[in-house]
Amino acid sequence: MIGLTNVEKYYGDYHALRGITANIPEGEFFSLLGPSGCGKTTLLRAIAGFEHLSGGSLTIDGQDMSRIAPHRRPTNMVFQSYAIFPHLSVAENVGFGLRKRKDINRDARQRMVDEALDMVGLSGYGSRRAHALSGGQRQRVALARALILKPKVLLLDEPLSALDKKMREQMQAELRRLQRQIGITFVLVTHDQEEALIMSDRIAVMFDGQIAQMDAPQTLYRRPSTRRVAEFIGVMNFLPAARVGDEMFDVAGLGKAFIDRSQVMNGAGTDCVAGLRPETLSILFDGSDVPDHSFEGTITDRAYYGDMTYYDVVITPGTAPVTISMKNRAGRPILEPNTKATVAWDPRSLIIFGA
Amino acid sequence: MKGGWLRIYAIVYLIFLYLPVALLPIFAFNDGTIIAFPLQGFTAKWFLELAAIQALHSALWNSLFIALVTATLSTLLAIGAARASTRYKFPGKAPIMGAIMLPLVLPEIIVAVALLVVLLQLGIGLTSWTVIAGHTLICTPFAIAILSSSFQGLDASVEEAAIDLGETRWGAFRTITLPLVAPGIISAFLIAFTISLDEFIIAFFLTGAEPTLPVYLWSQLRFPTRIPAVMALGTLLLLASLIILSIAEYARRRGIARTGGKDSGGFL
Amino acid sequence: MAAFDATARRGLLLVSPTFVYVLLLLAAPLATVFAFSFWTQDFLSIDYTVTLKNYQEAFSDPIYRTLLGRSLLIAGAVTTVTVILAFPIAYFVSFHVAPERKALWIFLITIPFWTSYLLRVFLWKVILGFNGVLNSSLIGVGLIDEPITLILYNANAVVITLAHAFAPFTILPIYVALERVDRSLLEAAQDLGETRVSTFFRVTLPLAMPGVIAAVLIVFIPTIGDYVTPRLVGGPDGLMIANMIQTQFLKLNNAPMGATLAVLSMCAVTLVSLVFLMLNRRYLKTS
Repeated sequence: MIGLTNVEKYYGDYHALRGITANIPEGEFFSLLGPSGCGKTTLLRAIAGFEHLSGGSLTIDGQDMSRIAPHRRPTNMVFQSYAIFPHLSVAENVGFGLRKRKDINRDARQRMVDEALDMVGLSGYGSRRAHALSGGQRQRVALARALILKPKVLLLDEPLSALDKKMREQMQAELRRLQRQIGITFVLVTHDQEEALIMSDRIAVMFDGQIAQMDAPQTLYRRPSTRRVAEFIGVMNFLPAARVGDEMFDVAGLGKAFIDRSQVMNGAGTDCVAGLRPETLSILFDGSDVPDHSFEGTITDRAYYGDMTYYDVVITPGTAPVTISMKNRAGRPILEPNTKATVAWDPRSLIIFGA
Repeated sequence: MKGGWLRIYAIVYLIFLYLPVALLPIFAFNDGTIIAFPLQGFTAKWFLELAAIQALHSALWNSLFIALVTATLSTLLAIGAARASTRYKFPGKAPIMGAIMLPLVLPEIIVAVALLVVLLQLGIGLTSWTVIAGHTLICTPFAIAILSSSFQGLDASVEEAAIDLGETRWGAFRTITLPLVAPGIISAFLIAFTISLDEFIIAFFLTGAEPTLPVYLWSQLRFPTRIPAVMALGTLLLLASLIILSIAEYARRRGIARTGGKDSGGFL
Repeated sequence: MAAFDATARRGLLLVSPTFVYVLLLLAAPLATVFAFSFWTQDFLSIDYTVTLKNYQEAFSDPIYRTLLGRSLLIAGAVTTVTVILAFPIAYFVSFHVAPERKALWIFLITIPFWTSYLLRVFLWKVILGFNGVLNSSLIGVGLIDEPITLILYNANAVVITLAHAFAPFTILPIYVALERVDRSLLEAAQDLGETRVSTFFRVTLPLAMPGVIAAVLIVFIPTIGDYVTPRLVGGPDGLMIANMIQTQFLKLNNAPMGATLAVLSMCAVTLVSLVFLMLNRRYLKTS
């Protein structure tokens, strides 16, 4: 569907995109995730045609896009600022792209606009002025305006970043539903890892103009390929480790364990780093059996989140604490700092990175 | 009361600002040839006298023609320059824009003599067109200043959205950008028009056989008997300026209402 | 690189008509004036031999020195008076006027300036004159017996008239700068123990400084080149360099000398502007 091969982009001396290669199949919800300045928006705008490539190739549906102007591409975009035309009504905004289509008469256009507004839950808003709308409503107008043209690809540039938390969560679900319903390719740019995980079929994590890892959300979370990706997505504890046998690793404070090859990332030599997600560690409360893999530590700090409690536990005095998240179940106490705790861990959820 | 002294000062200051302007209509309707108190009685004869002065009429028409052409030219030049400076990066941008805005910080007499010297050297006769050339030079930076803020206030992605939805680059400019900056264009045009209409120094140096209104006024100020008529003329000019100003202000407010922004002060 | 070039080309294309216009009608004429200042007038023709004679004359003849010195002095006085008078107004509108009435105040301040500049200056002559409005009113109410002559046909009259003429051009930039001052900064300063007065001097004024500097330049530069005011209300002691430039060009028919004086006044203006901009930069750095 979308084929990117060795895509390069320079702004003067600044190398914004470095050898991006990716294939995005039809009907996929694909996200470009990364910190600001990583090139994700540039890549999206290149697909839309607003940025010319300095090198490499871009195809959509097998057709080379290099000589195709943005207004002729089978893509439509939802802009970060929504870019609602302030001097036009909602219906005029939504019907904007249809005016150029000679094959659609007034009545058909009106019907399509109504349908599009209905699809995004804005029936009856057609005559309103754009600036009389709330952020969430503008977002929906922008969506309807893009989708009414039946693009092969919908490009979304940080579409939810201006919304408050509740609204954002609602729109995430709705976007996902819409995408399944119409079945076209969505390419989403976001810096919010949670948003990317929730919505995407596949995520490309970008740093410094390059794709660091491109995988499904679960793989990305459970098997981040580098320490930087792991740090960017969710929280991870890093402990110094050493390879002591073929599949045997000695992790500081945790002891020795067999680690499956699939958990050992490229570049891990003799000295390496072990990564553990907070939820893969658990504090053993009084009365539980002590499993094979566990360690003793002292709670130094705790943060209560309502549904969860995060504990900082120091294993060896003088070293950095590890973070542990525990669900607040009935009958489970909230432990105070300076309490001793026994923590269970599982070698199957541990990842080994290069040092 | 908060700002009590300041408020009194502000009112005194306003009186200072309005003092000369207030005298204009007072002496325009005063039945006496000497401009001094006490007043002599009410008359409208100075206004009637205005109607009889042929030289004044031709000066007025000449000024209006010059102002109209100047405003059109400088608005057109300003649209290109303002858009280039707010929307595009190009090599030499800072010095180029600096040169274009230079007339703002150059004493007018310098602009006037510089143009005069060149025109005389080239043997080009002084006409209304030489005045227009000079006025366009000084009005363009003002128009650019106004239009730049209009273009700046415009979300760049709005235009991109139009292109994304199938408009060509020019089509997007015409259907989206132009309507949105139209109030700015009207303001810029009116400001340029007013500046040109009122400008004296450049007109004084570059005008040919047909004087502009301010140049004509200047020549009349020497004759005491003409002063009351000049006052009447000034009153009419003030009224005309206020009407133009109100239109500019109305256009600006409509522009703000249209884009849903908040009003944040006058259009200067 | 292609995209960079494409937008750059589009930008250059858009700006080029205006730029070419400025090159032809401003840069070229200014260069000509500069060239003229090194030539001399030989009765009816121009002697194209390059010489510093005009500059020598400009510096040695006391009349040019006096006029240039006076222009700088008057421009300095006008600038000082105008800015000092205007600052409280800008402050008042920005800090003490309700937001919905600010536009009205600004409108009120600008209206008088849409009358003909020439007429406004002339009206000041009427107000300040021997038989003028001010004198006749003051005599009328018995405050004075003899007309005050201190205020017309001298430098004072020029200062008063120009302080009036440039009022909105000083109020507006200062007002804009004050409007940009984040009000919570002032509360923070008072919260940290500053009094209202010390808050003004330590927070408000430094933040408004760019507007003040803009106002200073906006008044100073055109004042140096003003021709109408000194001519109408200045009298022989109020004439300025611009009047001499005009005389050289139009009456004495000595374009090279006029050009020299023009170049000198431009240099003076540039010098003073640079000093102010540098002061501003240093001021912003230290505070």
